[in-house]
Amino acid sequence: MIELKNIEKYYANKGVKSYILRHVTTSIKQGEFVSIMGPSGAGKSTLLNILGMLEEPTYGEYHFMGEDVTAMKERQRIELYRNHIGFVFQAYHLIDEMTVAENIEAPLLYKKIPGAERKSRIADILDRFNMVAKKDLFPNQLSGGQQQLVGIARALVAQPSIILADEPTGNLQSAQAEQIMDLFKKLNQEENITILQVTHSEKNAQYGNRILTIEDGVIKEDVTVK
Amino acid sequence: MFKLNLKIALRNLFKNKVYAAINIGGLAVGLTSCLLLMLYATYEWGYDKQFKNSNHIYQAMINLQDKNGNVIRTIEQSQNVMLDALKQEFPDVSYGARSTSSYKRLVANDEQSLKLQSRYVDPDFLKVFDYEFISGNPAKALNDPNSIVLTATAAKKIFGKTDVLNEKIRFENQVDLKVTAVIKDLPSNTTFGFESLTTWTLYENLNEWPKQPSWGSHDYHTLVKLDEKADVASFNLKLKGFVRKHFANANEDVFLYPLTKLHLYGAFVNGQSTGGNINQMRLFVGLAIGILLIACINFMNLATASTQGRAKEIGVKKTMGATRTNLVSQFMLESFILTLLSILLSIIILEFTLPLFNQLLGIEIVFDYLNPINWTLILVVLILTGFVAGSYPAFYLSGFNVIQSLKKSLNFKKGYALTFRQVLVVVQFSFSIILIAATITIYKQIQFVKNTPLGYDTNGLVEIPHEGLLYSKFNVLKTKLLSSRAVISMTQSSGSISNKNSTIRALGWDGMNESDKLIDFDQIYTTYDFIKTANIKLIAGRDFNEKFASDSAALLLSKKAVEVMDLKNPVGASILYQGAKRNIVGVFEDIVWDNPSKNTAPMVIAFADISDVITMRLNPEKSLSESVGLVTSIIKEVNPNFPVEINFIDNLNESKLKNERVLGTLANLFGCLAIFVSCLGLFGLSSFSTAQRIKEVSIRKILGASVGELMTLLSASFVKLIFIAIVIALPIAYYVMNNWLQTFELRTALSWWLFVLTALLILVISVITISWQTYRAAKTNPVDALKYE
Repeated sequence: MIELKNIEKYYANKGVKSYILRHVTTSIKQGEFVSIMGPSGAGKSTLLNILGMLEEPTYGEYHFMGEDVTAMKERQRIELYRNHIGFVFQAYHLIDEMTVAENIEAPLLYKKIPGAERKSRIADILDRFNMVAKKDLFPNQLSGGQQQLVGIARALVAQPSIILADEPTGNLQSAQAEQIMDLFKKLNQEENITILQVTHSEKNAQYGNRILTIEDGVIKEDVTVK
Repeated sequence: MFKLNLKIALRNLFKNKVYAAINIGGLAVGLTSCLLLMLYATYEWGYDKQFKNSNHIYQAMINLQDKNGNVIRTIEQSQNVMLDALKQEFPDVSYGARSTSSYKRLVANDEQSLKLQSRYVDPDFLKVFDYEFISGNPAKALNDPNSIVLTATAAKKIFGKTDVLNEKIRFENQVDLKVTAVIKDLPSNTTFGFESLTTWTLYENLNEWPKQPSWGSHDYHTLVKLDEKADVASFNLKLKGFVRKHFANANEDVFLYPLTKLHLYGAFVNGQSTGGNINQMRLFVGLAIGILLIACINFMNLATASTQGRAKEIGVKKTMGATRTNLVSQFMLESFILTLLSILLSIIILEFTLPLFNQLLGIEIVFDYLNPINWTLILVVLILTGFVAGSYPAFYLSGFNVIQSLKKSLNFKKGYALTFRQVLVVVQFSFSIILIAATITIYKQIQFVKNTPLGYDTNGLVEIPHEGLLYSKFNVLKTKLLSSRAVISMTQSSGSISNKNSTIRALGWDGMNESDKLIDFDQIYTTYDFIKTANIKLIAGRDFNEKFASDSAALLLSKKAVEVMDLKNPVGASILYQGAKRNIVGVFEDIVWDNPSKNTAPMVIAFADISDVITMRLNPEKSLSESVGLVTSIIKEVNPNFPVEINFIDNLNESKLKNERVLGTLANLFGCLAIFVSCLGLFGLSSFSTAQRIKEVSIRKILGASVGELMTLLSASFVKLIFIAIVIALPIAYYVMNNWLQTFELRTALSWWLFVLTALLILVISVITISWQTYRAAKTNPVDALKYE
């Protein structure tokens, strides 16, 4: 599903290149649950951003579902966002002015899904996440864990093939964090959704089936979790 | 999607109430000013265009020329024989009508006696202008010489109703007229306005002078309707030499000028139209757009300054697959919602301010809610404003990089380079500064003109029209008034001392050149006591005096006239005046007769019993109301058929400055509004900016910065902008106002203090505005700001 070949990312400042990523080559298959780990500043988030096409690599090849991302036009990238990629953020990033239901509806609007189907999909997902009673609340009326559930529901509602999660439990207490990680695992196993998460926690990494460890911009380890 | 965006936009408005209030309030003020000025411009633009034939109606105008054929002056009045001559020789002239100027004429029935603005016109006047008739037949209304046409208001004034066909009216206390038609009131934006129309034949029956066919005197308006197919430019070529063909002595050419251009393009130099009221109109439209732009700039500035709050939303939406177009249309929608709310508010404000605005300018604009043109105007303003205000924020915000916007690490350019937002603030304030400087200059010019010595004493000086029995009983009136001790002196004259109404040329004196014949002298006819009543200073000789029989053929000259004639011993000298020799008995100090901003012309005062005005000086020892009461009752007693109409010379002089005063009022009003709206924007902007820097402020505070130091720090960036605006605006203001002053012959100087004052004023106002926010920021408890990090 994802092919990275020799990805480099550096910032040139007064002739001095400061590298964030070097020679990153890897591939991720459909249905994998990959955790990216490493110390602060190692380049984990940059790698995730490049995978999410939010940042461009300075050098290297990136194929997403067989297509060359670097040669992609803005329009095609937006189509990928609409149909294949769901983002989950550490700080949830719900839109404060929208209710829970509206936040979940937003990606469907951009996907131009007809009203009736939108309604049923939102109802489904609210039901699944046990949040029907909260659908008319605003984000600031929810706890952090609940907000992150909405964030995941929003990512899921467009039925993506991959979810990119940047420290999804970083702001949560451990009980809530476990709940979220269980949910990811379930989605991965039952719906075969590819999941890529950046995490600091060894424990969270164990939920997945593969761990990539990055240090100083280089992949140090690539292990499969039993 | 649209529905959701709409909901979000409204929620945003409710959430940020201050921001919304500043935006909507500012825009509403801007839009109201814009609508007011636009309505005013439409009003001016619509002058004389209400008639079916408007585009084919022309006024015959005259270019007066010197010996070499150069045009000296262009006048609107032509000869009483002009119309017939034109009609006879040019088949393109379909029909036409003469009209006198509009004068107040006495009308009366059994109960009422009052004066109406009135014109004597040819019957075809009603064909030239298709007025709306309430009753009567336009084709026949003026056929009978003793008929009168009234406007609805005039009819109500006299009879209390409009259903007055065939009623009798006593006209000028001389003749009974029959009402043959009542028409709807004329719109006030017509050049040829009136309250009643009477026939030309009546004019000739009541007076001697109009009867004589004359190519020599220009007294009347001649209006013609040209054939629809006729081309006026080529028609005017045919008119070259037309007057001379009929009158060999003539040094003039007649030409046709479109009625619809008369009001806006009525100023002529060298026989060519050089504009007129259109200049003022352009100024107003510029002002309207300027103020609206200031309000739009507020919107743009506040919208982009509030990015911190919106950045996350933009980033998230982009990761969900929102295109830039999606985001642009969302922000545009928000801009249009705000504009729509502002426009609704501004229509409400308009409803309240329009009467005041009308009163201020002495005009009658109504906002007609049923008129589609008004709504089109509003729609155009709505779309333009929404688009202009929304475009920059929409493109600016939608262009955010996702990662930066999610990390809240949007960096704004630092250093000395100006961001677009700062440029906008500079533009706003430059405009306001120019307006303030203009206001002060206009005010100074008005004061300058007002303070110019008139050369006579206006204190207690009043005038009444010389009319009716006051002619035959002038001496009775004089004796009665003087013996009542209400007045201490009175005189009669051919014109008011406050308004120039007559000139004469071709005077003859010893040692004159041929070209001196073309010098225009101001001219007043009077009998006795003119100098004494007006309290004009005599430099040499004496006033006309009843003791000297020869004074009935004497002259007085102004100081300027003596200079022009270069007379060594003026008193006793003899001058050729209207073909006869007259002796000069006195020389008086120059007086201001014309517009006080013009150079004084030389003046002659000639003894002649031709009079339109009685001027008197009230007794300063009596109270004003007592004197006026006495004078009124005595005049009423002597001349019972006319209403008494006492005018104070002070008021008459005041009205000469009307144009400047209107300009001053408008500049003042809209200047204040512009500054108000600019400051609203500055207020909003400084609140965002200080909010952004609150962490920095808190840290500095912990490090020991005082409130004063922090306020200086926070204000500095804005004060810098105001300084730049001052530097840019003052030279422009100087240039513009210098040009404006050039239109006056006598003008005040543009002094440096005026500009320093403007700069200081703007600085003080803006520093106060900013301080509101910076003070609050500097006083915050550092813990509050830092605990969230």
